[in-house]
Amino acid sequence: MFLQIIVNGVIAGLLISLLALGFSLIYTTTRIFHVSYSVLFIFSSYMVFLFYHLHGINIYISCLISILLTALLSVLIDIVIYRPLINKKSSFNIIMISSIGFMIIAINLISLLFGNETKNINIEPSESLIFFDVRVTIVQLIQAIVSILCIFSFFLVGKFTRIGINARALRDDELLLLILGTHTLKIRSLYFFLSGIFAALGGILISYDVGIDPYMGMSMLINVFIALVIGGLGKFEASILGGLFVGLVQSITVYLLSSKWQDAATLLIFVIFLLIKPEGLLGNKIREF
Amino acid sequence: MDYILHLLIIINIYIILSVSSNLLIGMVNLLSLGQAAFYGIGAYLTALFLIKYDLPIIPCVLLIMLLTGISGLIIAIPTLRLKGDYFVLGTLAFQNIVFSVLYNWSELTRGPSGIWGIPSPRIFGDLAISTSFGFFLLSFTLSLASVLFFYFTIKSPFGRILKAIREDEVVVISMGRNVVKFKIFAFVISSSFIGISGFLYASYISYIDPTSFNIQESIFILTAVIIGGSGNIRGPLLGAIFVVLIPELLRFFGISESIMANLRQVIYGLLIILIMRFRPQGIAGIYSLK
Repeated sequence: MFLQIIVNGVIAGLLISLLALGFSLIYTTTRIFHVSYSVLFIFSSYMVFLFYHLHGINIYISCLISILLTALLSVLIDIVIYRPLINKKSSFNIIMISSIGFMIIAINLISLLFGNETKNINIEPSESLIFFDVRVTIVQLIQAIVSILCIFSFFLVGKFTRIGINARALRDDELLLLILGTHTLKIRSLYFFLSGIFAALGGILISYDVGIDPYMGMSMLINVFIALVIGGLGKFEASILGGLFVGLVQSITVYLLSSKWQDAATLLIFVIFLLIKPEGLLGNKIREF
Repeated sequence: MDYILHLLIIINIYIILSVSSNLLIGMVNLLSLGQAAFYGIGAYLTALFLIKYDLPIIPCVLLIMLLTGISGLIIAIPTLRLKGDYFVLGTLAFQNIVFSVLYNWSELTRGPSGIWGIPSPRIFGDLAISTSFGFFLLSFTLSLASVLFFYFTIKSPFGRILKAIREDEVVVISMGRNVVKFKIFAFVISSSFIGISGFLYASYISYIDPTSFNIQESIFILTAVIIGGSGNIRGPLLGAIFVVLIPELLRFFGISESIMANLRQVIYGLLIILIMRFRPQGIAGIYSLK
């Protein structure tokens, strides 16, 4: 029983980590509180629903197309909403509120087009495998494998390629990077593109399991924030630690109390963390002034 | 005529909400997402006081202000230790915790089914407010009182210190003022007035459920302040009127009810983006967020 809780928690946590990586890619490099990220998450799932369910296109092709579309949407959000504000030297609060504005528009457009009820992408019930007393469904297995692959490649790319080095450079000093000759706008778009891919993958994996409704994005986003703050904003490794932590907290809550208290428990732990260790498990203490 | 009164009552409720939220958002630059939590606490307390204890209006409102203010204090103390983005996340977390409790603790709050049959509030003795016009007078009195209160607060020395904190916190600290204490004051005052709106909502609609007090409602109240403007009284006042009347204008275009709810949100979202881009201080406000 204990092992089952851990496994459920870890797999849920891996998905949160995946999404958190995508969000953190934007937050650490551009300092933008990308609330619209929640839209990318549900957009991808609805696209899969559109292509696979409504038009009968092969599931793999549907996923591929929707991942691509989501990544493009991500770049579009940056170009249309964030860049004009940054050029105007708007404060980050203003950018965040615009992001919230876009999120409201997108969620309600999706609601208008697809309806408010929960849609299901996966029609047949999933079979499960049993290892050592632990039951894992095929869907969970796919979720775990894809998440681990993505996270792994993210770190490989991040540590060893130009892309990763540029990300850290962009975070530290954008102007200097520009002076040194790097095309900061282009790599910025690249990061938004990659962030979109992560959001899309996470979205499709999660909604394949539990279905999709227009407001899922917001609740998932809150889990992502919590994961990032607990792990420690500013470090990519933090997303993994934080994500796993949140996944485990939720799993344990379901076992000890009931699933309806999952959110409250996670939030409570979050608040405790904010008070005791706001820099997160892996972060560094920052002096304010 | 009844319908116009209904609109005016709702506008008054939102005027109180936005003028109170403005104290935090526009005067101290504290972007709180927890307004709906206090709105909900006020409403549920009202249900308790009117159904179980049959309190008359004046003690009821005062008690609700006190209790909502105390809950504001409880939430303020931990969250005000956080800076910037972390503060926003902290208030967001508390907002969701309150919502989760209202929604899931069915023994206390009847959960998702909500509480119906909230009786009309009475002034004294048997004189109860039950007509639309009565509620209009009640809501107008309360919103007028709130607007006047905040108008004079903004102009007072206390208001000046808040403005100073907004512009440059470090200078205020170096002048020897306890900034955190002032922020907590602002938070508590703001939340206790939001409780009044909760009272009005619960007693007027006579049915409350947790989904009226979720994060979307918080964002909606924020929208009123953002669109109307922050930093003065005119802004939030205009904002409240605006956001309540926009859906009514849509009605004239013959838009069906089913898409109305979503369409008005789309319009709000669009307005937020446009205002943030082209007029960040809002239509009638004087302060752009930092």
